Amino acid sequence: MKSFLAALAFAAIAAFCVSSVLDTIQQTSSVAYTTSGARVGDPGNNLIGPN
Amino acid sequence: MPSSISNLRALCAAIALLFVFANPAVAQLSFKPTAEAVQEDKLLNALKEGDKITGRITIPDAMASSLIQPAGRDWRDFHRSKLPIIGGVAIIGMLALLAIFLLVRGRIRIDHGFSGAKLLRFASFERFTHWLTASCFIVLALSGLNISFGRILILPLFGANAFATMSAYGKYAHDYLAFPFMLGLIIMFLIWIKDNIPGKLDLDWIKQGGGLLSKGQHPPAHRFNAGQKGIFWIVIIGGALMSVSGWFMLFPYIPANVTELQFWTVIHAVIAMLFIAAMLAHIYIGSVGMEGAFDAMGTGEVDLNWAKEHHSLWVEEEQAKGRAPSGSAARPVAAE
Repeated sequence: MKSFLAALAFAAIAAFCVSSVLDTIQQTSSVAYTTSGARVGDPGNNLIGPN
Repeated sequence: MPSSISNLRALCAAIALLFVFANPAVAQLSFKPTAEAVQEDKLLNALKEGDKITGRITIPDAMASSLIQPAGRDWRDFHRSKLPIIGGVAIIGMLALLAIFLLVRGRIRIDHGFSGAKLLRFASFERFTHWLTASCFIVLALSGLNISFGRILILPLFGANAFATMSAYGKYAHDYLAFPFMLGLIIMFLIWIKDNIPGKLDLDWIKQGGGLLSKGQHPPAHRFNAGQKGIFWIVIIGGALMSVSGWFMLFPYIPANVTELQFWTVIHAVIAMLFIAAMLAHIYIGSVGMEGAFDAMGTGEVDLNWAKEHHSLWVEEEQAKGRAPSGSAARPVAAE
């Protein structure tokens, strides 16, 4: 039971850490797939937004 | 002179008119070039497999330059018509087989009953690795099935808002739990590869059906029998394919083009269905299907009689090392 609970906790923590790292090292699509001339300041929450 | 030119024009017009009446299709082409020149179906059918119509773009996304890709229709057709068949046959078929097996064979009991003596089968780190991979797999499987079939099966039940929220969180879970799942696969491979090399003994085990089909028959096996080795390699090879294909889907700018990305999504989907079906069998035999089996991954300790019946050679090795109680199948204890 301890191994099972430890595995669940580890999986959740690892997933959270990975999401944080990827959020840090990756650009949002609104930045990565636009050039500076076409980039909007506040893309909001639509399809090209930060989320 | 003017009359001869006029006559020549009249003659040409008459010939053209005759030609038109004789061949209406040519007439249509001749008189309405713009209506026939561009027909999307003809254009798409003219493109060979792998061809695409591309344009010139300025945004830094090379894949966006693909304007029309006829192969995408095959990909869409696969997801809409072929994948549900593959998934249905694999998953529902496996559930049906297991149900029939349970009805016909019943639960596989320990022939000599519980002895009360225990020996360690899996250490805590091994159990941790198993449950890490297994728990991630269950979430990945459920969220993946929702991506493939949720729109058909769950949306009508939950409604659009609840389904959209659930699917969004499911996708987050699918994306990020993939990483601890891959870590679990790597650790599993490293710690169990030495006990999962196929050998001649495995052929004998397979010839006897692993003793699963008839009561009282237990072919000898080391730590892992041929069935468990099969599951190990399904997990490793299937997991590796899922990881590679999933990696391309997690980072879709890595594949060279849209066609390559679609290829990996097909691999991901097909392997997933087969993987889930195989794991259903694994879950069944490790819980409901075989008495005493769950203890191996539950507490880590299994009953001596269970071990002797299913892994007789492993028990002898453990006894020789002094890590297992010696003795016979005496002192049977009633199952809980």
